[in-house]
Amino acid sequence: MPWSEILAQPLARRLGLLVLRRGSSGAFLLILAVLAVTAPNFLSPGNIANVFAQSAILGILAFGLTCVVIGGGSNVVAGGLDLSLAANLGLCAAVYSSLNNAGFDTVQAIGLTLLCGLAVGALNGFTVVVLRLPPLLATLASMNLIAGLELVLTQNSVLPTDSALLDTLAMGEWLQVPALAWMLLAVALLLGLLIQHSPYGLRLYAVGEYPEAARAAGLRVGLYVFSSYLIAGLCAGVAAFCSAAYFSGSTTGSGDMLLSVVAIAFLGVVFSRRLVANIPGTLLATLLLGFLINGFQLLNIASFWVNGVQGVLILLVVAMSSALRKEEGGL
Amino acid sequence: MTAPALHLQGISKRFGVTRALDEVDLRVERGSIHGLVGENGAGKSTLIKVLAGIHRADSGTLAIDGQVLRGFGPRQIEALGVHFIHQERLLPGSFTVGEALFFCHELRYGPFLRRRAQDREAARLLREYFALEFPPGALVSELDSAQRQILQITRALLAKPKILVFDEPSVSLVKREVDQLLAIIRGLRDQGLTIVYISHYLQEIESLCDRVTVLRNGRTVAVVDPRSTSTAQVARLMVNRDVGEMYPKTVVTPGEVVLQLKGLGAGLAYRDINLSLRRGEVVGLTGLVGSGAKELLKSLFGLVQPERGSVHLHGQVTRFKSPRDAVRKGIALVPEERRIHGVAPLLSVLENLTLAGLSRFTRACLLNAADEARESDRLIAELGIKTAGHDTAVRHLSGGNQQKVALGKWLGRDCTVYLLDEPSVGIDIGAKVEIYRLISRLARQGAAVLVLSSDLPELIGISDRILVMHRGALAAEFDAGQVDSDRLLACATGAHEGTAPGLCPVRETQHALV
Repeated sequence: MPWSEILAQPLARRLGLLVLRRGSSGAFLLILAVLAVTAPNFLSPGNIANVFAQSAILGILAFGLTCVVIGGGSNVVAGGLDLSLAANLGLCAAVYSSLNNAGFDTVQAIGLTLLCGLAVGALNGFTVVVLRLPPLLATLASMNLIAGLELVLTQNSVLPTDSALLDTLAMGEWLQVPALAWMLLAVALLLGLLIQHSPYGLRLYAVGEYPEAARAAGLRVGLYVFSSYLIAGLCAGVAAFCSAAYFSGSTTGSGDMLLSVVAIAFLGVVFSRRLVANIPGTLLATLLLGFLINGFQLLNIASFWVNGVQGVLILLVVAMSSALRKEEGGL
Repeated sequence: MTAPALHLQGISKRFGVTRALDEVDLRVERGSIHGLVGENGAGKSTLIKVLAGIHRADSGTLAIDGQVLRGFGPRQIEALGVHFIHQERLLPGSFTVGEALFFCHELRYGPFLRRRAQDREAARLLREYFALEFPPGALVSELDSAQRQILQITRALLAKPKILVFDEPSVSLVKREVDQLLAIIRGLRDQGLTIVYISHYLQEIESLCDRVTVLRNGRTVAVVDPRSTSTAQVARLMVNRDVGEMYPKTVVTPGEVVLQLKGLGAGLAYRDINLSLRRGEVVGLTGLVGSGAKELLKSLFGLVQPERGSVHLHGQVTRFKSPRDAVRKGIALVPEERRIHGVAPLLSVLENLTLAGLSRFTRACLLNAADEARESDRLIAELGIKTAGHDTAVRHLSGGNQQKVALGKWLGRDCTVYLLDEPSVGIDIGAKVEIYRLISRLARQGAAVLVLSSDLPELIGISDRILVMHRGALAAEFDAGQVDSDRLLACATGAHEGTAPGLCPVRETQHALV
């Protein structure tokens, strides 16, 4: 590589990083500012709390995906990916509704639902770690499998249910902040501590980014990847309660959330100095998308525009981060 | 007499039918730097993998400090204080210096990381061992190769090793960084560590090591003192082959000039390159990493655009806008990473061989399968490509045979200029000789061949003239018949400029290792 390139590259790269990082935070602030000016009541505390609550389901799923991306590497095609998250949520919500309607007590119903989420995570982990299937295909397959199971369980209908837990989640408030918003923040805090501030999290990053290095340091790489799918499964289970509370039972069509979840997790990458998937970044991306949807609603813009915006965001983020990674690879 | 720090005796290891190691002995005295040299395929890396507990030897014993080990794995070896610095820098790029240094031995506060303490401690250790300051908060991906290497060494030092094994540590370092690394290694030896240093750069071995073990074809052929044995002698021990028989070279009278470079320059990479390539001539090009030789070849491949000067092909000024453009103008390119650029591993031998000249097999836009098969069978026979048939995927071929495919695909095209980038890297001796034979045949048929190689004996063996680049300029031109590796290397390293090794900010530190 010529010296001119070597000299120019870090600068170009630094510039690219700067634009990506500052640009994304700037874009976030710009969107907020535009919506604040144009949309009525956008900045009222009630509306902001509302956005937090409405973002809980997507956000918690995206946290799960973030962990999988960290543990599997951020390569979109070959890296970590869990496409079954949304379907897993649908199944868990259906399981909880069925159990609750069948008269299981609260603890049993909650425990079995979370176990269902974990089992799906374990299935994904098994296919990826033991069978060595590419996560994209493995979780695509399990997504269909799980969606099918959900249909078998619900006969493709809504299973309404009601419990004290769901009432608390749907109606509860603390410090004038709805319970669902607290759920989002609590999961963010727990996973944030685990992923960003514990040795486990650091090792998970190493496993995802440079498995050979992790292996050379004596880590059991497969175990870490497997655990990231378990976390994702657990997140799907937790999100299922939020969803069941929001819709008063299980609903069909939870798979539609997949695109948003993937968009959020990859968008979260740009909110970090190192351009890696991370929990605070995912939280910010969740809120960005939440505010966007909310603003569009307040402005009476048709909601399919949100899908378009999500698609564009995914393309932008994936294109830019892979372009930067290519430069890094050339160094 | 005290027991040696490390003693491998009679180590043998077989992979299928090949004997990778045959009764190898390696004895390393405490507090010394012991070199391990050998050609590619001599068994160096297998021996190191046996030592690291990755491969299990079929027979032989390993003793550390006189204590014989049986049935050991990587973890036991590490626990006994043997640590390895690999040539690939095994550190995740997005980690900070502190995180990478303490990775897997993190400093904690309860269940949580103490990031700031790690960074502080990392800075202190680097200052203490190497008197170095890394930019605060730097990520591993922002460090240069030498800094990463130092980080790896520091990481190994944290475990209080007794023996450090360096496996080809200088491969991707530039001269200044190598000097710094060597000085650091000497400093470690002076602190009482035992060092095993593996390299095929004999100059490094000569200036660094106290003893050298030479491996050849899986056997220990000699243990020498580099201070009393010249580099040339060590090289002869490594190769032990009559250079003449290995390099089949026929004398060809050069014809007219085919490719000429006039005052070519690109950025800081290289400048003022004047070079002419005649028909029937094999010209060698060499230079260390960063000398600009690679970049010059890349320019001729059409990958890097020169900024100054001109390229003349058959007397006409031309430019290679892209590799495709260069190929269309009759240039055959065999890039270094043949797996990436030279062959399509998943396609069959036939498809690869005919890929470069598909138009010849095309009738009315369709491929003529019979023609293709006939031509590829001819090439397979002619080049001696060892393959089950022309339908075998190239992926299944050995490195040498892959290289023959990469070269062979140009043969049917009547190219006038062949540019070969490290044509014999990573292939076995037998295949090398066949590649050399092929190169000499190309020249005999009237092609002009430019070979970039860092294997100096090879260059001397196959070329007519050798051009040496140093710091972006052509430093010298040698007649291949009247030069030896030492002079080439002296020229490539700029040894005549009087650069002294060991100019490095290592303090004679008395601090105990942590």
